[in-house]
Order: sequence, then structure tokens, then C-alpha cells
Amino acid sequence: METLGASIGMGLAALGTALGISYVAGKAAEGTSRQPEAAGAIRTTMIIGAALIEAIALYAFVINILLWTKITG
Amino acid sequence: MHLVEEFALHPFTNWTLFGLDISLNKAVIMIWLAAALVFILLFIAGRKAEMVPKGVQNFVEMIIEFIHEGIVEPMIGKKGTPWVPFLTTVFLFVLFMNLLGLVPGMYTATSRLYVTASLAMIIFITVHAAGVKAHGVSYIKNFVPGGVPAFLAPVLFVIEMIGALAKPFSLAVRLCANMFAGHLVLGAFIGLALLFKSLVIAPLPLMGAVVITGLEIFISGLQAYVFTMLSAMYISDAINSHH
Repeated sequence: METLGASIGMGLAALGTALGISYVAGKAAEGTSRQPEAAGAIRTTMIIGAALIEAIALYAFVINILLWTKITG
Repeated sequence: MHLVEEFALHPFTNWTLFGLDISLNKAVIMIWLAAALVFILLFIAGRKAEMVPKGVQNFVEMIIEFIHEGIVEPMIGKKGTPWVPFLTTVFLFVLFMNLLGLVPGMYTATSRLYVTASLAMIIFITVHAAGVKAHGVSYIKNFVPGGVPAFLAPVLFVIEMIGALAKPFSLAVRLCANMFAGHLVLGAFIGLALLFKSLVIAPLPLMGAVVITGLEIFISGLQAYVFTMLSAMYISDAINSHH
């Protein structure tokens, strides 16, 4: 049961992060195509945004690892 | 279960100092090796500095230029130039620790939370020391956004304090979890190849492992870059006033 909970939690966290990062990357591509001269600034902002979003999935991952080590001993 | 146990450190010695565990283990040796590599690289580059760089000096100048023009200039601005050496060292140190873990038989020091937490603490102390140095006592005003009503200020101050403490936490967990997760996925692919005990199926997960290794090399560089960039952002928040 705990294994199932950990798996579902990780899956949901991955889903949310995937949506978030894809939105960031999509908007960055849109911005770059509209204003190619601002590509450098847009890329920097995109990487920071993606890193901050990604951290949320990684928190979930850490909690899952903690939960998982608790289950398996 | 077996995969996570692969990350367990078995200390070679059993030393303590004032009740603190300072025994030697693989991660400690990897940290020393990474520090030595950074020192050797920068020493060779700076030993005979020439006006027209070539070889190692050229390569190191490229990295420094990348830190200067790609991170420091857009993040901190003109005031940021004195921070270039510090941020270059942080970048190279994290990068070498990340990349050393990809060499077979080595260990990724950055996949342990206490290594990344120590790095994040260094950044945290540096950032606030720089803030106090730049603004003096009035640095505390940075924790209250400009133009808020007086009765809201204490509440916002507490929230901003929590935010300031969350920054090193997120820096540490991001780097550590990224490295740990990458190696876990790599281990899972290789474990899958061994699990089937069949020469027909084994090449497929092994191909996956090769692809993931390529991704890991990319992630190592990217995480070092993100770590440096966020450090530069925090320094910029501390030394450039908002109000």
C-alpha cells in the first residue's frame, strides 16, 4: 500500500512538473520566434524558471526515497 | 533496495574530532580530487599567462568569459565583476564533482546531501556578508518590500526571512537530487539488462543506459551552470538595492 502511494505521488509530481516545464519551454520558443534578438535573455530566464520548477519534482523524489527506504527497511 | 544501497558509503577509517565524524570515505576523496583538479587546471592556465592565449590558458579564458558574460553581467551588472573569480571557482568545483561521478569506479560527491548543503551554506553566508558589506545595517530593509503599509511590515519580514532560509535549502536539494536521480536511473537500466539474463533483450536496456549517460554529462554541466547562476542571482539581490 505504501509502495502504491509512493508511486502515485511520484507520478503526480512528474506530471505537474512536465506540464510546467513544457509551458516554460513553449513560451520561450514563442518569445524567441517573435523577437530573435532577445534569444540570449529569454534562454537565461527559461533555464532559471525550469530549474525552479524542476526542484518541486525533486522534493517529491526525495520524499519518495525517504518513504521507500522506510518501507523496505 | 539494492540500488539505493549502492550509494552507501563505507568509511575507510574511524576518526572522530570533538565528537564529529571525520572518517575518510569515497565522497571525501572525490571532493579532494575535484579541488585538486580545479587547482591544477587554473594553475597551469595562469603559470605563464600570455597576451595571445593558447592551449589550456585559452580554454580557461573561455570558461571565465562564459561566467563573466553569460552569468555575471546579465545577473549582477557592472558591479559584479569582482565576483567572477568566486563564481568561476564554484562552477568548476561543482562541475568536476559532477563529472567525476561518471567515471567508472568513482563516486559522485554531489549526490550526498551534506556535500551540497555545505556548498549552499557557503553561498548563503557569502551572500548575506556581501549584503551587509554593501548596505551596512540598512541591509535589513531588503527583507521588507518597498511601499508596504506599516502594519503589514512585520508579517512580510517573517515571510521574507523564511524565503531567505529556503534559498540555500533549494540550492542543496536541487543539486543533490538531480545527481542522485540520474545515477539511480542509470543503475536501473543496467539492472534491467542483468535482470532478464538474455542476450537478445539485454542490448535494449544497455542502449538506454548509453543514452542516459549522455544525458547525465549534459545534466552535470547544466546543474553546475544553474547552481552558479542562482548564486549570482542571490548575490545580485543582496548587493543591488530594490527600494
